[in-house]
Amino acid sequence: MAALPRRIIKETQRLMQEPVPGISAVPSETNARYFHVIVTGPEDSPFEGGLFKLELFLPEDYPMSAPKVRFITKIYHPNIDRLGRICLDILKDKWSPALQIRTVLLSIQALLSAPNPDDPLANDVAELWKVNESEAIRNAKEWTRRYAMDN
Amino acid sequence: MTTMDERVTDEVEALEAILLDDVVIKRVDGVPQAIETVVHPSTGDDADQQYVCVTLEVKLTPAYPDTSPDVILRNPRGLDDQLLSSINSQIKEKLSDCLGQPVVFELIELIRENLTESNLPSGQCAICLYGFVDGDVFIKTQCYHHFHSHCLASHLTAGERNYQEELEKLPHWQRSQTPPYQQSCPVCRSTVSCDVDALRRAPPPVESLAAPPFCLTAELKALQLQMAALLARQVAKGGVVCPGDSGPPPLTITTPAADDEAANSSPNDPQDGAKSDAFGTRNGHTSAEHSSPGSPRRPAYRGPYRGFNRRGKPGRGARGPR
Repeated sequence: MAALPRRIIKETQRLMQEPVPGISAVPSETNARYFHVIVTGPEDSPFEGGLFKLELFLPEDYPMSAPKVRFITKIYHPNIDRLGRICLDILKDKWSPALQIRTVLLSIQALLSAPNPDDPLANDVAELWKVNESEAIRNAKEWTRRYAMDN
Repeated sequence: MTTMDERVTDEVEALEAILLDDVVIKRVDGVPQAIETVVHPSTGDDADQQYVCVTLEVKLTPAYPDTSPDVILRNPRGLDDQLLSSINSQIKEKLSDCLGQPVVFELIELIRENLTESNLPSGQCAICLYGFVDGDVFIKTQCYHHFHSHCLASHLTAGERNYQEELEKLPHWQRSQTPPYQQSCPVCRSTVSCDVDALRRAPPPVESLAAPPFCLTAELKALQLQMAALLARQVAKGGVVCPGDSGPPPLTITTPAADDEAANSSPNDPQDGAKSDAFGTRNGHTSAEHSSPGSPRRPAYRGPYRGFNRRGKPGRGARGPR
């Protein structure tokens, strides 16, 4: 395996030394490009109190191309599909090498605070979010309680 | 309308005469309200050697210069917080020293001296996250952001390659309507125009070459165990995507790329056998007994997830352990 780029090492160290509140990212023991991630559900969102596990992979040409990120914990969100894939522009065409693991995860946390049913990935969820927002939020809370609460 | 203080009109006149287009005077009913100018370090007239700058805004109070104006520094480029706060406190001092007389020229001079002294971008290259030190070859974009030339070349090359790849996915009739590739700044996305071939000849950042290698600390290991334990609890509750799958989650599928890597390294890597075992890239090594979450011998999460196209079937046919 090619040597790990210095930037990845530096990001990893900084994630440990100056952790982002509500976010932890730890490299796998067997692959320093693969990160185990936990994002806590933001306050005042239907995901509050949840611990959401994600996986994040830095491709070969990172930071010239975006990390691959996916939810592992089930989540009821219009921009996240049932396989955990995330619809977020900075993970696709709006990626820039000035973004980092921490900024990507912060953006994902922000997406939990501000679901955008007009740009859906999970169509049935987005549909309900548009026609009956209170029921959708109830579902999101229920999923959070059932799958993401650690107790 | 109150009569204008002669000291103010004289000062404004002098500023306009000397700074010409580089100063903006905001007036209401002909009365100067605010003065704005971008301050650069003194480098003769060589703008290419100016790596830092800051916008100075002076809001004149009605009784100026007998009372101090409000002074704001905006859009600092290449300056760190420490230097900025030092300049701000020097400004405060200068304002109280100069009460009763026009002060804008003095402020510009004070800021320029500070910038000239630290005319090397502070902070890090946003691409590699290393600083700028002696021996580094770096570039300032038109938007005053700094990158190692080497790093910016990589970004621009990758940007153009991605553009080409996206273009080729379009039907022919759409390609001609697509705007041509435009280089952009990684930090602010402003358009830039750089000679990529010239940038590419620059050496890699000095600090990155001397950086220590990666090591898995005890702290990291403890965190890994916590993560694994949490995942195991969520799996037990059925709270994980694809709970019926005993293998690693879909992002971690084996990919041709990972196999290629292993294959490519085998001719000159005598430890290939051991590595294949550790990374589980070869047949048979990713068997189910290693796949329970939390197990130290869990198969490696190594393959990039390739199912990000929205209509595709992610992971189809490419999943490692079956």
